[in-house]
Amino acid sequence: MSQSIVARESWLGAAARINAVDIVLWALRIGVVLVVVVGTIGSLIKQRYTGAQWFDFVMFGLTIGSIYAQIALGYTMVYGVLRLINFAHGDFMMCGAFAGYFVATPLQNSGFLERSPVAGMAAILAVAMVVSTAVALLTERIAYRPFRRVIGLAPLICAIGVSFFLEQTFRGMFGSAVKAYPTPSWQRASFHIGAVAIPRIDALVIGLAVVFMALLYLIVQRTRMGTAMRATSEDPEAAALMGIDVNKVVVFTFVLGGAMAGIAGVFYAFVYKQVYFFMGFTPGIKAFGAAVLGGIGNIPGAMLGGFFLGLVESIGPSIFLDGLGIPAPYQLRDVIAFTLLIMVLIFRPQGLLGERMAKKRA
Amino acid sequence: MRTGTDKARRGVLMALASTLVLLASQVAGAATVGPVTDPLGVIRIPKGAPLVIGGYWVLSGPDTALGLDEKRGVEIAMKDEGGSLLGHPIKLDAEDDTCNAEGGQTAATKLAATPNMVIVLGPGCSSAATPGAPILWQAGIVNICTACTAPALTAPGRKPEYDGFARTVFSDSEQGKADASYISKVMGAKSVVTVHDGSPYAQQLATVMADNFEKLGGKVLSREAIAPTDVDMHPLLTRIASEKPDVVYMPIFTAAAAQILRQSKEVPGLEKTTLMGGASLLSADFIEAAGPAVVGFRIGYPDLSPEAMGKGYPKFVEEYKTAYNEAPISGFHANAYDGAMLAFKAIAKVAKTDSAGNLYIGKKALRDAVFDTSFDGISGPIKCDQWGECSQFKPSVLEFTSGDPKTFAIGKNPKKIWP
Repeated sequence: MSQSIVARESWLGAAARINAVDIVLWALRIGVVLVVVVGTIGSLIKQRYTGAQWFDFVMFGLTIGSIYAQIALGYTMVYGVLRLINFAHGDFMMCGAFAGYFVATPLQNSGFLERSPVAGMAAILAVAMVVSTAVALLTERIAYRPFRRVIGLAPLICAIGVSFFLEQTFRGMFGSAVKAYPTPSWQRASFHIGAVAIPRIDALVIGLAVVFMALLYLIVQRTRMGTAMRATSEDPEAAALMGIDVNKVVVFTFVLGGAMAGIAGVFYAFVYKQVYFFMGFTPGIKAFGAAVLGGIGNIPGAMLGGFFLGLVESIGPSIFLDGLGIPAPYQLRDVIAFTLLIMVLIFRPQGLLGERMAKKRA
Repeated sequence: MRTGTDKARRGVLMALASTLVLLASQVAGAATVGPVTDPLGVIRIPKGAPLVIGGYWVLSGPDTALGLDEKRGVEIAMKDEGGSLLGHPIKLDAEDDTCNAEGGQTAATKLAATPNMVIVLGPGCSSAATPGAPILWQAGIVNICTACTAPALTAPGRKPEYDGFARTVFSDSEQGKADASYISKVMGAKSVVTVHDGSPYAQQLATVMADNFEKLGGKVLSREAIAPTDVDMHPLLTRIASEKPDVVYMPIFTAAAAQILRQSKEVPGLEKTTLMGGASLLSADFIEAAGPAVVGFRIGYPDLSPEAMGKGYPKFVEEYKTAYNEAPISGFHANAYDGAMLAFKAIAKVAKTDSAGNLYIGKKALRDAVFDTSFDGISGPIKCDQWGECSQFKPSVLEFTSGDPKTFAIGKNPKKIWP
């Protein structure tokens, strides 16, 4: 008898602890899961898309995802080392895309890019990386270093200011019209594996992105400078006491982030063909989302987050909303991507791979 | 004692409030200034002071050509008028509305706050006009739009806050009907997919076209939507390809339209589908953004060929070329010219000068004069109906012939293919 009373009271106590917010949050989670499950089943039953089309969706998602991932790396590394959200990072990418444009156009016009794709692409990427890195370094030296010891929102506001500054400077220098990247004929070709066709540019972008990211990971994990970077990100003061030159580490971080942004800019422009001064903003925001999703400060997390966001954006509307019969699902792709991002963060506030770092710090 | 103080205080407050109300009614309401009495207020321009005309167009970003072309049309109209009106130099105060609602709101607020603003021309985008026109009319300023074509702006029974709004450009209810008839009857298409970008222009035009296409017996497979900033159109195009439409109708703006056009060549299943756009895409910038993929792309457009336009049009084009060292860069210069001319004629009709040489214009009188003036414009006859639609529409379809932006010339690239 008394046991049952105790059980009842503890149950009542638990019930009393559940408040309205919990109920709403759980309803939200269940709602999203229901939409995902019912939508997916509905889409698969409808059989609107062929296997080849599903494959295309995945390829499109991986392509944009690999670009998000590369931009996200810049966010995550700078955050890891400086605890600064570098909102100008998307604009570093824009600088790289513009630099690439001014190399790619004459190369294409002279026929060089058609004749020697490898040398041509290498030149475009090299110039873009140099320009993006230079802009990143100047930004760090002029705008961020004075804020290094400032706690609060000032550095963040400064980063937003740098973002506007870069956008408007490029607008002033090169005009506000959209410029079109050249399309060499070898980029338009695609290769066939069975029934599916893979555009060569997509394969190139995904492949090279993975190679560059692997390279970056090795640099961070295996080199002395990379180790110093990780040490600074764990505890800047202890790192400084151990003889690590924190300034050097910060500069190195911006070099890596800037170079990746330059590469991402060229890839982005080669896939989507348009460059203009405001092009860095949206991918920048999305890549920031990807970095948070992966666990900000965590390098493999940023890559994973980027690919996740790209895939959800590409496949999400077709798989979740088509099955529910929602018209014009593609206008909701950002809603889907960011809803899922929020859902992941509700369940794992530290991000997908954020745990390891948090444990180490704890 | 305490109650007495309170009463006194309340009395003072009441007096203050009523003075304020009285003042406010004097500012916003009926007024007599000089020789003019007007229920909405009177603009007084001192002797020799400029007559300020406002303008808001998209003057930056991917759609710059659209707005700049209209601004130039107005500038040529000012020149043709001799640079002055009733002895006052005409001054154009042009704002950039960036072709969106926020920009339209900001630009209109700025123009409405400018002292002695007589009338406002523009914008080029319906998304800017939708919030902009009511802000101007609240200040008693008439807005003559030069390129915003969304049907709702001059639809019968529109809201009273649009009473001060007129346009010297056609309504998309006409454009959509003409496009539907072209796609169905001339192209012989049986099915379409429409794509809009959430802007009032694209959304309303796509809807009007789709509804009329269904009336003509065609099938609308789906009505898609994107965001104007979207860049990856591959998934959307794969989705459209799964429906196998004869025509994709996409009256959207430069950046997104160019993306769709370029990427449509890379998506399997769209080889037999024709893409068709709207008036927002008639510019060299669009050719630049879309590149070689633009060849064969069609847009529904009012007929700009010299035989369809007003008598003065060829002379205007020559003036344009002399003034700006290039042929017209987009398609609404003639509407803008006529809009400015309509404004000048209406001002000349109602303005009164006193013995000291000051000019007085009644706001309500100016509005009525705009709605009441008719003349032969360079874009065709101008005569407003009671809802502010002042232009007449002659449809045509243009097709791009080259991907080189330098070849842009209305009539050649794109060339008229219908009627």
